[in-house]
Amino acid sequence: MASTGKAVRPRVAVAKFASCDGCQLTLLDLEDQLLEIVTRFDVVEFPEATSRRSPGPYDVVLVEGSISAPEHLDQIQALRKQARVLVTIGACATAGGIQALRNWADHDAYRAAIYDHPEWVESLAKATAVSDHVRVDAELRGCPIDGGQLLELMTAVLVGRRPQIREEAVCRECKRKGIVCMVVASGDACMGPLTTSGCNALCPTYGRGCYGCFGPRTGANAKSWSAGLMQSGRAPEEVWRLFAGFTGYAEPFRSVLTELGKSKG
Amino acid sequence: MITNPVPGPTAVARQWFLARSDLDALIQALRKAGRTVIGPTVRDGAIVNDEIQSAADLPAGIRDEQAAGRYRLAERSDDRVFGYTVGPTPWKRFTFPPNLPIATAHLSGGFGFEQPHITAPQLAFLGVRACEIAALGMQDRVFLGSPFTDEDFRARRKAALIVAVQCTTCSSTCFCSSMGTGPEVRNGYDILLTEIDEGFVVQAGSPAGAAIVAHLPTRRPTHAETGAAVDSVEAVRTQIGEPLPIAGIDRRLQHQLDNPRWGIVAERCVECGNCTMACPTCFCTSVTERSDMEGRTATTERQWDSCFDVNFAKVAGGDFRARPRDRYRQWLMHKFSTWMDQFGSFGCVGCGRCITWCPVRIDVREELQVIAPVIQPVERPVAVEPVAASPGDFSIARLASVRQETEDTTTLSLTDMDPAFLAGRPGQFVMVALPAFPAVPISISRFHSNGIDLTIRAVGATSTALVNLHPGAKVGVRGPLGTFWPIEDAFGRHAVVVAGGVGLSPLHGLVEALVANRDRFESVSLYYGSRTPEDQLFRDDLATWSAGKAIDVAVTVDRAGPEWKGRVGVVTTLFDMMSCDCSRITAFVVGPERMMQASVQSLISKGVPPERIHVSMERHMECGIGLCGHCQTGRYFVCKDGPVFSLSELGDLYVREGI
Repeated sequence: MASTGKAVRPRVAVAKFASCDGCQLTLLDLEDQLLEIVTRFDVVEFPEATSRRSPGPYDVVLVEGSISAPEHLDQIQALRKQARVLVTIGACATAGGIQALRNWADHDAYRAAIYDHPEWVESLAKATAVSDHVRVDAELRGCPIDGGQLLELMTAVLVGRRPQIREEAVCRECKRKGIVCMVVASGDACMGPLTTSGCNALCPTYGRGCYGCFGPRTGANAKSWSAGLMQSGRAPEEVWRLFAGFTGYAEPFRSVLTELGKSKG
Repeated sequence: MITNPVPGPTAVARQWFLARSDLDALIQALRKAGRTVIGPTVRDGAIVNDEIQSAADLPAGIRDEQAAGRYRLAERSDDRVFGYTVGPTPWKRFTFPPNLPIATAHLSGGFGFEQPHITAPQLAFLGVRACEIAALGMQDRVFLGSPFTDEDFRARRKAALIVAVQCTTCSSTCFCSSMGTGPEVRNGYDILLTEIDEGFVVQAGSPAGAAIVAHLPTRRPTHAETGAAVDSVEAVRTQIGEPLPIAGIDRRLQHQLDNPRWGIVAERCVECGNCTMACPTCFCTSVTERSDMEGRTATTERQWDSCFDVNFAKVAGGDFRARPRDRYRQWLMHKFSTWMDQFGSFGCVGCGRCITWCPVRIDVREELQVIAPVIQPVERPVAVEPVAASPGDFSIARLASVRQETEDTTTLSLTDMDPAFLAGRPGQFVMVALPAFPAVPISISRFHSNGIDLTIRAVGATSTALVNLHPGAKVGVRGPLGTFWPIEDAFGRHAVVVAGGVGLSPLHGLVEALVANRDRFESVSLYYGSRTPEDQLFRDDLATWSAGKAIDVAVTVDRAGPEWKGRVGVVTTLFDMMSCDCSRITAFVVGPERMMQASVQSLISKGVPPERIHVSMERHMECGIGLCGHCQTGRYFVCKDGPVFSLSELGDLYVREGI
């Protein structure tokens, strides 16, 4: 595709399940590149941006949101059939998102507490990642995703190579930026060592520990980190909240939370 | 300035005094010389190295507190500006940037790759400590010491002027003294400051440094001032002490590839890579390609990477260092062992950053001491003060009786001897001499109430002369010498004695002691192999032991005539008879070298712990007391530190040839 330029315009669809649309907005926020993107890609399906609809098949499908309602189950299967490359974008699609907090709670009690007519609300007991249901070709992490990574992914699709998306600890980005480690220098809580990079250490840059919104990186030693947090005097409830956040339903965070839940009784 | 290789300290370096209130003159002189000054300044709760405009940016009256995984700032009781140790910023940040474009590629306008033009900023590094100068030198060797060089590094290093500062305080994480890199700055600087109460003692280490110093409002220092400068650095050395016993650690680590501690530390390690990022010598990088959407122009950016990264050693087919323990081992061994092979020095300067900035508080000093501990000098109990301890001195004993054991082996019973010999312990030996015959070491095979037995195979001049003596003859003896069988190591366990040929001689006294104390052991067994039935020693005793219930005796021979009804085969074939839990065996092994090695390997493979396997080593001995040097085996004098050793004491000395 690289040398043919505009001759072949990949058909792109952007779809969403249970989510806040923030990751889709990241695409729209790529203002400087937006014209080039729509020139090089045929964005045929993008309800957030246009009411024009177009059935598949699609070359690339960007999927936002978790599988959270009964109708999602069939929809994601149908979408997969229409997608040559399916990319999940954001913490909801890749890890279940913040709505997966209900996975540790009583689903019916939650519904009854919030809605006057809970019987009108159809939702699944657990919010899950798209990859729990269909094969996923690539993931963009984060809440929301990083525009640079999205652009790199789109570029890689056009050039025909693997996207150059490193999967390292957020600490690595922090150190390269010269940020003083707030865990060591201030005793703050931070999920950086366990969390996949890609945000360019956004929260630590602004003096806040990492929330873990990019989710656990491969091989994340969540067991040691949670044990260390408690050894430094943090209550299990506080550690639970640190791990729960946006990507708590992704392993190995999920196991830590399950263990902490057990210890809480 | 590149100051490596550096000139040694000049004989009496010229020194100046600069008042603390005039320190800004130095910074402004550097700036006036066209340099951006990078120095210590407080940011986000730490003293980082960053651009400073004036002395007001320096951390006056501030100190740091550092421990594993912990860094805090606190106030000093004075207004010193360098009263702290190294912070989170390694100087490599400015000579080896964390992100560096190294190439661009393009398809448009012709296919090609281009390297960016190297532009190194003119910097002055203010506050470089001894360990950090050493670190810059280590990166010099990495990047400039081979035919393949990093020209960006060269340019940056060359463009940086080093204003070093002597450490006058230390942190709990400092171990430069162990690594031989500090605390005192000796070379590698353009200007050197030592902070004392009133200001700084200043030295110049290069013409560029001297040119700057010439612009400063200095005066000659007083003797008190130069003395205070020297004393404060010495005081820091004392304060740091010797936190890490470093001698030979590169070699010690090489033998610890399978140490279980790698797995234990890896369970704590979160592989954030902060140690490698904070390390002033770590140099690993990865490249990332960025292209326009068409893929027609691309840039390659080099970034600091870390061997802790899960992708660092991956190939398409898998990962060469798949486990966290593999990656931890790679890092630590590189710093303290393989770096030595690659670059001729350790890869660690002892700055302690990897300890302070480890969020799970791993202390490399602790890990190293567990993984590759210093072997303490051998100190062994002396059973009894030996008689006639000096090499030329002999005590006289009388030969009471002579008994032929086999065709070539004879037992001499000595009596009328110094009672100290009788207080010896099984496993010990004596040096025996006759006039005109050199002394030879002979193990004591039995203790009597009034003498000892020596069982001697006639192989040399002295031993042949000895076995040809008649009762009543006098011999010269020195001893008892050497270590003895640690019988108590078998208390409550299965005592297993393995003997080959005349090796039963030094074990004979042990077997008697085991039998005499039988109720202290779970079981007692003797496995004895000899070449032929006729080569068996102590046949009467073997028969007695076999007949009794105290000890299980199993014998085998290498070859035998048809009249032999027993086992044929090497001694290890008898080990099939071991039916107990082998981890509860304490073994005592003596025989020919190859038989001992085979026996030991077989015992280990059965699960006998190496520290519970005791062997007696035969070596060339002349003095018997560790003075003549003949018997040296690795770090041991076999005569004095042995001849009885546990296998864990010998380690891999035991299976090596030519030691």
